[in-house]
Amino acid sequence: MAQDEITERISAFIRDRFLDGDPQGELEETTPLLELGVLNSLNTVLLLAHIREELGVAVPSLRINPSDLKNVRSITAMVRELQHSAV
Amino acid sequence: MLHHLVRDSAVKHPDRPAVVAADGTLDYAGLDRRADAFARRLRDLGVGHGDRVVVWSGKSADVVAAMQGVLRLGAAYVPADDSAPAERVALVARDCAASVVLTATDRLPELSALLPGVRCAGLTGAGAGGGGETAEPGRFEAVVEPDDLAYILYTSGSTGTPKGVCISHRNALAFSGWVVDLLAPGPEDRFANHAPLTFDLSVLDLYAAFTVGAAVHLVPSELAYAPEQLVAFLYERRITVWYSVPSALTLMMRSGGLLDRAAPDGLRAVLFAGEPFPISQVRRLAAWTPARLLNLYGPTETNVCTYHEVTPADLERGRPVPIGRAASGDRVWARAADGSVCGPGEEGELLVDGPTVMLGYWGAAPQRGAYATGDVVRLRADGSFDYVGRRDHMVKVRGHRVELGDVEAALTSHPDVAEAAVVVTGHGVDARLAAFVVPGPGRRPGPLTLRGHCAKRLPRYMLADVLRLLPELPRTRNGKVDRAALAARLEP
Repeated sequence: MAQDEITERISAFIRDRFLDGDPQGELEETTPLLELGVLNSLNTVLLLAHIREELGVAVPSLRINPSDLKNVRSITAMVRELQHSAV
Repeated sequence: MLHHLVRDSAVKHPDRPAVVAADGTLDYAGLDRRADAFARRLRDLGVGHGDRVVVWSGKSADVVAAMQGVLRLGAAYVPADDSAPAERVALVARDCAASVVLTATDRLPELSALLPGVRCAGLTGAGAGGGGETAEPGRFEAVVEPDDLAYILYTSGSTGTPKGVCISHRNALAFSGWVVDLLAPGPEDRFANHAPLTFDLSVLDLYAAFTVGAAVHLVPSELAYAPEQLVAFLYERRITVWYSVPSALTLMMRSGGLLDRAAPDGLRAVLFAGEPFPISQVRRLAAWTPARLLNLYGPTETNVCTYHEVTPADLERGRPVPIGRAASGDRVWARAADGSVCGPGEEGELLVDGPTVMLGYWGAAPQRGAYATGDVVRLRADGSFDYVGRRDHMVKVRGHRVELGDVEAALTSHPDVAEAAVVVTGHGVDARLAAFVVPGPGRRPGPLTLRGHCAKRLPRYMLADVLRLLPELPRTRNGKVDRAALAARLEP
């Protein structure tokens, strides 16, 4: 899957589930999701479940580093890396 | 007094580990020296008997030593959560008129700008406590009375201003002494500290361990809800006494693979507090380990004032574990709406009187007599209590106490917001804090803007999991916000 598509799918999920659809289009690739409390412990679990089901990439919880969840860009990078290491 | 615990253990068990943290291990002799070094440095910054020192930091051996150093001057420490925004920390520092704020060096510029006139100093790195360890031998031993303030724990306040719960040396010692009697730990024990140092659960971990020369292993805050890491921590550190909110234990069982492994031999006691623990989860835990399972109860204002040890009969009962009977030398009873003392089977508000009841809220009149908890309980035939619910809008989210009004006040302080209501849905580990916001006329605030606004004012655990914009809030017939209708909107 291309990087843009991963980014778009992750962004769409975050907008839909955590940002009430993001009516003002505020979400960017560098929006600090941890700092703003968008990805708290509970929402992170939901996002990782979505990544597993929709993108077919399992993120082992031992692998998670808070810096990977910083923003959409870092999450995309993490997913890309796991995709490659799985091949 | 409270700071003598480390001093005494440093004499008896100088080489035993005291604090094991991500930044290293301090044995009791090391913790004793480091605490004196902090005391010296803080004294040089002007801290003296009766002063307050805010410590804003993640968990580390240095933070624990700094807290002990503060006590050795006869001053009180005020822990501030690592994830709290600088503005909230500044609010707390101003509220308690702190003379010094200790924090990570990289946060100093932002904090100093918010706190003109308050000394802000680096907690670690060059110039921190460690440097002067041997420069000036000598001990800091302020004369402290039992009713002197030892620490202030700030909790969520219903009007948007955090409330400082003032705990004396007597309060903390009554509680930690009771825990030591209950668990009879020794220097070989290894306590896990799961709770943030701002949370009263951490008082047990630290001071029960310090009383007997045991080790306290600090769980880094970023791992607090990472199930596999928590399970690994329990095994690798060979923890003997675990204490956390039930949510953390539920996560460890559900997603951390805890039940797939044999329980560690050394695990003697699992303690939980802060929210009801579903009986189904307690059953799984009891089937997994022969360790003692203890439900502790008490608001920050009283520390632990009741407890219940789980029995086989509790597991059969199909109801949450009782909060039990009086602990820590306190007296507890339930008061009915008409003011009478409840009999068996009756419900009323739990009242607490005794040595662990706080001095009072900072800046308010001293607490006199019994503290009314705001928790509704039912007296059981055997004299213990079942927890029923809250009388007000305070909720627990994964064990953290949150006043809904505090979160609503942060939202309505945004100029584009006309009205806000916050509700909680779900229970235990699945509890979600949901905010509903009505924009002002012609305003269209974005959810991210509002989150950013709140993130500057509230600690992270008080930020909404869900944020929705609504044209208006649903109302009940008598005009109150219909919180049940709001919660129903979130049903899947």
